[in-house]
Order: sequence, then C-alpha cells, then structure tokens
Amino acid sequence: MIKNTKCECGHQNPVGTVLCESCGKPLDPDLPLDSPLEMRYDGAARRSQKANPAVIDRIWNFFSSVKIAIYLIVLTLIGAALGTIYPQESTFINLDDPGKYYKETYGTWGTVYHALGLSRTYESWWFIGLLVMIGTSLVICSLDRVLPLYKALSKQQVRKHQTFIDRQQTVYASELAAEPNEWIERFGKQLKRKRYKVWTDGTALLAEKNRFSRWGPYINHIGLIIFLLAVLGRGVPAWHMDKYIGVDEHQTVQIPNTNYYVQNEKFTVEYYKDEELPDKLKGTNRAKLYRTDAKLYTCTKYCNDDPLHEPELKEVEAHAIEVNSPLSYKGLNLYQYNYEERVRLIEVKPMLVDSTTGESYGPFDLPMNDPPPSVEAGPYKLTLSAVFPDFGLDAQGRPMTKTRDPNNPAFVFVVTGPGLNEKGEMYIYFPMPSGDDKAVQKQINDSFKKLGSNTGRFSFQVGKMENVSFSQYTTYLNVRVDRAMPYVWVGATISMIGLVMGFYWQHRRIWLRIDDGRLSLGAHTNKNTYGIRSEVASALGKCGVAVEPKTLDNRRSSS
Amino acid sequence: MNWLDISSTAFIIAFFLYCAAFIFYAVAIGGKRWSNRDPEAHNRRWGRIAFATAILGWAAHLTFFFTRWAGGGHIPTSNMYEFMTFLAMAIMFAFIIVHLIYKNNLLGAFALPLVVIIVAYASVFPSEVQPLIPALNNYWLKIHVTTAATGEAFFAVGFAAALVQLLRVVDFSRTDKKGRREQRWTEFVLFFMVIIVGFLVAVFGFRAGGYEAKFQQESVSIDQQGVEHSKVQTVEYGLPPIVKPYNSEKLSMDAFLGMKEPLFEAPSWMNGVNAGRKLNTVIWSVLSGLILYAVLRLISRKPLAARIHPYLGDIDPEDLDEISYRAIAIGFPIFTLGALIFAMIWAQIAWSRFWGWDPKEVWALITWLFYSAYLHLRLSRGWQGTRSAWLAVIGFLVVLFTLIGVNLVIAGLHSYAGA
Repeated sequence: MIKNTKCECGHQNPVGTVLCESCGKPLDPDLPLDSPLEMRYDGAARRSQKANPAVIDRIWNFFSSVKIAIYLIVLTLIGAALGTIYPQESTFINLDDPGKYYKETYGTWGTVYHALGLSRTYESWWFIGLLVMIGTSLVICSLDRVLPLYKALSKQQVRKHQTFIDRQQTVYASELAAEPNEWIERFGKQLKRKRYKVWTDGTALLAEKNRFSRWGPYINHIGLIIFLLAVLGRGVPAWHMDKYIGVDEHQTVQIPNTNYYVQNEKFTVEYYKDEELPDKLKGTNRAKLYRTDAKLYTCTKYCNDDPLHEPELKEVEAHAIEVNSPLSYKGLNLYQYNYEERVRLIEVKPMLVDSTTGESYGPFDLPMNDPPPSVEAGPYKLTLSAVFPDFGLDAQGRPMTKTRDPNNPAFVFVVTGPGLNEKGEMYIYFPMPSGDDKAVQKQINDSFKKLGSNTGRFSFQVGKMENVSFSQYTTYLNVRVDRAMPYVWVGATISMIGLVMGFYWQHRRIWLRIDDGRLSLGAHTNKNTYGIRSEVASALGKCGVAVEPKTLDNRRSSS
Repeated sequence: MNWLDISSTAFIIAFFLYCAAFIFYAVAIGGKRWSNRDPEAHNRRWGRIAFATAILGWAAHLTFFFTRWAGGGHIPTSNMYEFMTFLAMAIMFAFIIVHLIYKNNLLGAFALPLVVIIVAYASVFPSEVQPLIPALNNYWLKIHVTTAATGEAFFAVGFAAALVQLLRVVDFSRTDKKGRREQRWTEFVLFFMVIIVGFLVAVFGFRAGGYEAKFQQESVSIDQQGVEHSKVQTVEYGLPPIVKPYNSEKLSMDAFLGMKEPLFEAPSWMNGVNAGRKLNTVIWSVLSGLILYAVLRLISRKPLAARIHPYLGDIDPEDLDEISYRAIAIGFPIFTLGALIFAMIWAQIAWSRFWGWDPKEVWALITWLFYSAYLHLRLSRGWQGTRSAWLAVIGFLVVLFTLIGVNLVIAGLHSYAGA
C-alpha cells in the first residue's frame, strides 16, 4: 500500500516522516494524542525507515537502531566486567601453563574461567567483535540521523501548524489585547537580548539559539570512531613494538630489531628517610625514586654483527628515565619498568702473584664480557682456556655454566713464561669477592695441582677497589613504539569537543503565532526544559504577559 | 601549630558543619507543618540557613584540603583517605552548582547525608600524610584524580535527586504485585544506606573502645624454580572477630561480651590474610545495620520510605527527573575527560601504555558505558521518570564499586589506593 505522505500545507514528505518537514503538523496517526510531540530529529524521516528494505537496508536498519546500540553497550559492559573477576593472562609476564595456574590459584572456578576463555576476555573474538559492532553502529546511527536532521533544521518554516505549537513541551496560549505586529516585534527584541536568532513572518515568529549543540553527539561519535580505528590500527605490527630489555650499569645493549643501542650509565634507587615518613611507616622501605641515566645511540657502521668490528655508535639522545618520565626519540619510547639489585662485575684488573717470590705482576684487564684470548702480566702470558659466565657444577660434578649471564664468572687460564714448563700451569680464577667462590677456587686449583696441571705457585689478587668496576643494578626498560597514538589522541579530543558542545549548550527554539488576537506559543529544547521555561516566562513578562515558568510545562498541565 | 594540625581541625569542623546543614535541611522540610508558621516562609528561611551552613562547611573542607597540601607537600589525593575526603568535597561542589541552578531544599536534604557518610567513611582509613611513591609523583595526579572525582560527584548528585524522586513517586496505597515490588526496592535502597551507616557505627564504636585482636597466618607458595617460600603475615582486627582468617592462629584478642575466641573461620577460598578481616567487617556492618534499621523501624512504625514520602509532596517528580538528568549530563563530559582521557594520558606516561585492561581502568570504562546507555535510553519513550531514576541509582552503585569495590575486592595497579 502506498501511503500518501503529502501534508495539508502542500509539502511532499518522505516515507517515515513523523512531523511535516515544512509546517510541523503531526503526520503519523499512531502518535499519542494528548502528550507532547516527540521532537527527535525534528520528526524527519530516516533512511532506515524506507519501505521494502533490501539486504543492505536490513543491515543498515539493524545498526541504525538506538535500541541495538544500547544492547551492544550493555553487552560490552557485562563482558568487560566478567574480565575483571580474575586477573587476565596478559598481566603475567611469563605464564607457561595458564590453565594450570588458574586451576591451582582459583580452584574449580578458575578452571571454568580459563576454559570459557574469560582469562583472555579483551583479546577474545567476541569482545573485539562487540567493539567493532559498536563502531559500526556509531557510523550508521549517526549517518542515519544527522543528514535528515541537518536538512530539517536548514529549511525551517516560521509559521508552524497550530497542532505542532500546541503540543510542544513548553506551551502558552492566551488572548492578546495588544497590536499583534508591534507585540511580536517587542517580543522578538526580548529574545534577541537572550541571544536568540529571530525570524518573523507576519504575525508568526521563530526564535532559535545554540543550534550547533545539536551536532555535538555526532562530533562525539566521529571522535569515537577515529579512536576505535586507531586502537585497531595498533594491531599493525610495523606500527607497534612492545619489548622489555634488561641493561646492567655501564652496559650498552642493542634494542632488538632496531638500529638503536641504549646505555645504562647509572641506575639510582632512593628510599624515603625515616624523618620523611609518618610514624606508622617508619622503618619501611618506601621508594622515592627509580632512575636510569640512559643514553640512546644509533649505529652508523658495522651494525650487522660484523665479527671483525665493534659497531660504531653515535649518541642521539640522553635522558634520566624515571617512572613518569620516559626517554622519547622519534616515536621510540623507553620507560622505567623495573630493576633488580644484582651485583655483576664488569671488569677487574687483577695482579698475578707469585707466592714463591712474593712478587706480583700486572695488573691486567679482564672484562667479563668478551675477555681477550690472552693477556700479558709482567713476563708471563695468560691464555684463556675456558670461561664460565655463571659458574656451577653439573650432576657429575663437572664445571658448567648455568646461564649466559655473568652472574658468577669463572676463568680458566694457562700461564706460560720464564721458569715454567712448556705446557704452562693451569689455574681457575673467580673474580667475585665471595667466600664461597674463593673456597671453590681453592678446591679446584688444588685438584689441578694433584693432577699435575699446576704447582700452586700462582694466585690472582685484586688489590684495591678502583681495580674493580661493577654494576650494582640491572634496570629493566620497556621499549615502545606506538605509531597509532596521535590518532588515539585526536579521536579523544574530537570526542571531548563533541561532548562539551552537546552537553553544555542546549538547542532552544520558540515558535509563536497570533491569530485573531489569540497568542499561541510553543518551545522546544533537547535538554534543560527548566532553562527554556524560565527564558520564555521572562521574555513574556517583559512584554506584559505575566506567567509562572512552571505553568508553561505541557507535561504537567496534561497529567 | 603546623599546617597539618590546622588541617585536621578544619576537617572536624567541616564534618560537624555538614551534619548541622543536614539537620537544618531536615528541619526545613520536616518542620513545614509545625504549628503557627507559614510553610513557604519556614522552608525558605531554614533552607537558607542550611545552605549557608553547608557553604561554611565546604569552606572548612577547602581549608582542610589546601592546608594538608601545604603541609604534606603534595596534593592530598594519593590514598583512600585523601581520595574519599576529596570526593566528598567534590560532591559538595557539584551540589552547590546544581543547587544554584534549581534551588531546591530537598536536594540538600539528600546530598548532605551522602557527603557526611563519605567523610565518615574516609576517616576509617589511616589519615597520615604518606610521601608519594614514584608512580604517583607527577602533575597528572592533580589533574586526573580531581577531574575524575568531580565527574563522579555530579553522578552522586544525580543519584541523590533520583533517590528523592523514587521516594516521591513510590505509591504506598498500592497493593498489587508491581506496586509492592516498587515499595520493597525503594525501601531496600534506604536499608542499604543504613547498612553503610551501621558499618561506620561499628568501626568508630570499637575504635573508640580501643578494641583489638591479632591473627597470624602462615602461607606457603612455590615459585617458578620450585623453591618453597613460607610467608608469615599478621593482621589486626578493629572489630571483634566473628570470623578469623583462613588457617590462622590467634595472637591476641580482647574479650567482647564474653566472646574470647573467634566463632568461625573464613572459607578456604578466601585465602588472603586480609580477606578474613574484610569478611568480618561485612558481617559486622550487616549486624549493626540490621540493629540500626530495626530501631529506626520501631521509631517510625512503618517502612522508612513511607515515613519520608509524605514530606516530598511539594516538588514535582518531573523536576526531580530533570535535576537528576541534568546533574548526570553535566558530570558525563567531566567524567570522560578525567576518568578516561586524562587517565589514558597519564597511563601512557607512567605505565607506557594508554590502556592496559587493569581492573580499575575497566571499571571506569564500565561506569562510562553505563552512563552512556543511560543517556541513550533517555532518548527512548518510556525511559524517563522512574525507570531513569533507577538507572541513576544503579549508576552510582557502579561508581562506588569502581572507587571502593575494585580496591577492596580486586587488586590491580591501583592497589596503592587501597585500604
């Protein structure tokens, strides 16, 4: 059945129009008769109200519904809440067997939680799906409404249908003794003083202000869409890097897969002193500062693991990285993430001591990383025969290294030189100043002696502290690249502008007509009806029509 | 006298002025039908006195805030005590703004008790100035926390108006199922508030009496290298232990009404040493809340909502609906800015990611989604009025959970703000 959509004022309206686009007469016969009119989108027809929808139209209609949008919001809300019941897997840095962890820590419920995939809620297909659907709904809802609304607001008629005026939220009607044209002019002036734009058409008047606030929600939605797209954009691998690196003091480490090197010059941790703490916290270690004095380098030559050359580095940035103060260089950010107090030797300068003569030779340089294959100490030559960066004994009691980190280094040297036989003498050396290590060192050297590998003539000694350079702390830095961030901030800013426009200003319109000495006034606002009532009452009052703001409320007089 | 002494004196003054302002509002509304007076004039006069008292209280509260800032060296919004006092101050600010727009005494009569409760709740937490840990030591502490709390404060005022509206429209003459359900739920909201007051009465009552009990719990955990670690934790109870922590030993315990031993042990899934203490606090809150509610019911001889309802006659539900909606509409952009956008900026600086699905972040998002749904629902026919008022009430519960519940129940990166 084809509906006649032509209004009695002669305007041809699209299907689905609720209020005539031109004169405002209610067209939908199903509207409740005595309540104020629904003024959403000024009663204009939306694309989603098209007759005989095709498939595309059906999808469009689905996403254009505010009801669906609310369902999506509520489902997302519930999903997000479920994800906070137990910690997410992503909060653990290394969790080898998540299923086992949830079972052991949280029992049966933990098992169920993990099995349902709720331990990865925010990466799950359904949660991301919900966010994508919200994004779609934002686009379609906005387009479906903003265009008809824009059209309706840009072609408003001054003289509205009597029913349209009488059925606004805010209404007033009375006999008017004054001369209509003159009174309308006076009333218009009053409204202009309240910063309304006023149009008149004979004895009809339209006053409007803050129309721009109607665009607030749509601007907010545009901002949210940009924000959501930017968040999805973070999934592009080239746009995103998230790595953790540990750097000892004085150490320079390459940032994996980049041309950058970072050096930890010094790490500082400070605690509050007792006099700075309230009584209850005295004696506790309350952290005051974590700081890595860092330098960032780029590699200019011999970068790709050239076996012959050390890479050549150029300093590009230096910054004291603190919590809340990352180092930033061309989109690369280094954050203070963690630290560990762990003494690690960097270099020692030991002396070779001859116990038969009491004479000592050296000192010679012994860096823990990449020690040279041989060094000279006085007339003697020390050839490195084995290195154990993290010394330990295996199940058979043989020396081995537990890790590749220089936690407890041990060096085996073969000493050759004057007065020694050709094969030389073999000694193990533990540079760490720990009693345990010294005991092990003695034990092993004694067993070498038994085997005839040495005579026990030599030992190593580091005399003064200045012959030892060590790192006390390892700092852990979080390396981040996030090329989508500018778009995230742009989206958030636009969204915020839209919110402020939409919530802190209200679109207000007043229609008025005088027919045969009878004045009818209707006014509408999308928010803050209280405000528009007092404005109307005050303008009427200044034109000789005394009225209480409350009595203008159509909802109340009708209920 | 140093800054901090002035500060704590100002805090006590503010608290008592708020209590007085609440009483004056109650007089303004409840005393209208007293003999030999014009109800209008009475309401106006006492309303003015009440508002002036509230403003004075707020001035004292501001004094507390700024002197503590001067004395402590950093903005006092860094732990639960400071945050809660700030929230109360922000609610007063929101109340003053909304009151200046709508000038209604009923709003004061419901917003002020809320403020009093929050101020008292703040005092449950230790009030010493604590120096900032590195993560908090940034100017974003000022910006993020204050704006987020201001947004939430407007939601609180929206809640107060919605509560008045519910009490205003609930119809006690109805005996059908729907009518009864409405009466029950409205009463339940009041009951819930009485429970919170019960909690405060219990905590401060036993604190004044100097009550103390101590427990020790040994827990064994196995780390990734397979090494066993045993940890001994002690916990202090300020309330007599009806429930002791799971698998714990009594170190000391004052007797209370002949009770010398804890009555029960917390269930095994509450394995933390503090979980038992929290469960015990909840039990005490409900107990003292129930007693308090019973006393109030005896005095009023009918449901509390039915006792309050007749005093709310001279305001239209539509006005309350508008006040509640308006407060939320003012709060929403501020909340978005403070609790989400500023939070993201700070998280990007401090934690290297703007969003990390930390429980506090998620709950801020949930609050935001909830109020978004509220604002969209108001576009639909049939969702204004009572239904919308219920949403405003539930919304504020979500806010409270985000602020307090997350810290007490779920720990996360924001746990330093916990109890």
